[in-house]
Amino acid sequence: MEKAVFLPDTELHEALAALSADAQVWVPAGDASKPDLVRFQRYRPGLSVRLDARSLVSAKEVLFPRSEALLRFVKEKDLSVPAGHRLHVDDTRTVPPAVVFGCRPCDARGFLTFDRVFLQGPYRDPYYAERREKTTFVSLVCRDADGACFCSAVGSGPADPQGSDAQLIALPDGYVLRAITQRGAALVEKIGRGPTAEQIQAARDMLDQAGREMVGEGSLTAMDAAFRARFQDAAFWHGHIDKCLSCGLCTFVCPTCYCFTITDEARGLSGERIRSWDACMFPHFTLEASGHNPRPSKVERYRNRVGHKFSYFVSKYGQVACCGCGRCIRHCPVSVDIRAVVRDLPVQEEVHA
Amino acid sequence: MKTLHSHLEDHFEELELVIGWEIGFEPLRATPAFVRRREDLARLVWNPLCAPNLSVYLPQILKSAEKTEKKVAVCLKGCDTRSLTALIQEGFVDRERLHVIGLPCPGTVDPQALAQARKNRAPVTQVSFQDNLLILHSYEGTEEIPLDSVLARRCRRCRQPNPLLADVVLGDPVPARCDAPSFAHVEAVDSLPLEERRAYWERELDRCLRCYACRNACPLCVCRDRCLAESRTPKWTTQRDSVRDKFLFHMIHALHLAGRCTECGECERVCPVGIPVALFKEKMAQIALDLWDYQAGVDPAATPPLQTFDPSETGI
Repeated sequence: MEKAVFLPDTELHEALAALSADAQVWVPAGDASKPDLVRFQRYRPGLSVRLDARSLVSAKEVLFPRSEALLRFVKEKDLSVPAGHRLHVDDTRTVPPAVVFGCRPCDARGFLTFDRVFLQGPYRDPYYAERREKTTFVSLVCRDADGACFCSAVGSGPADPQGSDAQLIALPDGYVLRAITQRGAALVEKIGRGPTAEQIQAARDMLDQAGREMVGEGSLTAMDAAFRARFQDAAFWHGHIDKCLSCGLCTFVCPTCYCFTITDEARGLSGERIRSWDACMFPHFTLEASGHNPRPSKVERYRNRVGHKFSYFVSKYGQVACCGCGRCIRHCPVSVDIRAVVRDLPVQEEVHA
Repeated sequence: MKTLHSHLEDHFEELELVIGWEIGFEPLRATPAFVRRREDLARLVWNPLCAPNLSVYLPQILKSAEKTEKKVAVCLKGCDTRSLTALIQEGFVDRERLHVIGLPCPGTVDPQALAQARKNRAPVTQVSFQDNLLILHSYEGTEEIPLDSVLARRCRRCRQPNPLLADVVLGDPVPARCDAPSFAHVEAVDSLPLEERRAYWERELDRCLRCYACRNACPLCVCRDRCLAESRTPKWTTQRDSVRDKFLFHMIHALHLAGRCTECGECERVCPVGIPVALFKEKMAQIALDLWDYQAGVDPAATPPLQTFDPSETGI
């Protein structure tokens, strides 16, 4: 390991405090009254940091806030101009450096989907780009996949370094922190202490072991053609989706769902233009001004969610828009299982009810 | 379980569709099942993991299904039958088209509580139920967990474990956990001084993602695709990630359920960030009881108080 340090459990808070000196540090942490309710929170002393627990919601909001002001505006009354007012627009913003510390590899990998759309597509999104450039991802090599996890089935895995700048490898009394990118190396320099040869060896062993582990069955990365062939099969979609409640939970907890809406929120003469999370599972998402809705029911909406992740995105960008974190399955109120839907796409016999 | 299967086998010719539960992607997950073929009946299960209130599907299913002589069978727990009753009273469900299978319910499991109660960490490979015990098998061994210790909050205050409305009741009646409506949980929050109560709700609602799972899982949230939370004209809430907007949505949700909420607790069960949103509706239920001596969905013959007008009504 080229650049690695050892971070004892007892010095974790010290390290997070040190990183907080010049960056916003986001860590998975339990709520004060509900320790098992783990979300990414801004680090502060006394926070109940839970690197051992999977967070309920992904780290998406760090680079893609639930709502963000794109600009602020003020209308100044002026009857000498035809509009009756002059418009003052302020789109300045300050984006502080940030560190996501202790996310899982799937959380970090999720942003590779965002990068394709917001950085490498026809339009470069300045808001996302600035956050992306200033954020360092430190992921924890994952040793506790559950029944909803399926990262290996989408080409990732519990030790996947893609999207991470540094990796934490848990040992019995602390972590080996290993740099992957230059940005990660800069972070590693700031914390921890020199590791012993035994610690490096133990970390290597665990990396090897995690790297070989398969989480989730089969592969879901080559379903583009099967999806297109299934598109019109109403019985297939009903069979899988009759139980869907058509809420937006799956999209909001997802690390790769990036759809948004833009609204002007004004009060009196001033306001903000904000971008906020939207979901293809909501009826308004595709409602047209004429009143026509091309996706009138949950069947078309859910089919779109599957198609976007496993077909359209694949043919446009050459990768699936899914990191296999399993949150949409784990938290779905009725346990809709996107793996089962995608796995059944190419199946010829009638598998649905 | 034999009774449910044999009952459905016997009546399958009269049925177009059976809505029940089956095992989901892991043994501790029961998920709604829509069964249209006789051979799929074997997939159905009934146990304390069958948490989803299946009455939520009925208005939509009956609207989209062709009217035939055949009926739609639905499995409902005691509390779920209250939701059905309210839906019938409001005209959203045609009772005649249903075959209601009532299931006396020992209570449903809170997955979070179960995870905490477990001593083993290995994934559960098999689960069985015996005399109020959950028996969990994993490669670390077998563990027994009393159902009472892992009940969902809604079940700890349950007073209608037995179906109030059904074509057939399968299983023996279960004693109710509460004899009278219990509002202890909402009263505990209500008794906080104003500033503390405000801080409590700000803390809880700050987590809200506005995913609207609470709304969509609610059998009595009948506006569906016409919810004012997403209405643009007029626009009632902003898209900001602010407690103020989230609070407004939850207040609207609760107010629309005044005298209608049947306290099935689905809104709270489905919340991905653990907000006790059912407390708002329990407050409404408490007010409805005080004001009109009315409990939603308990008496099919009753007229819901907000669906009638009585000039001589006192108390308002």
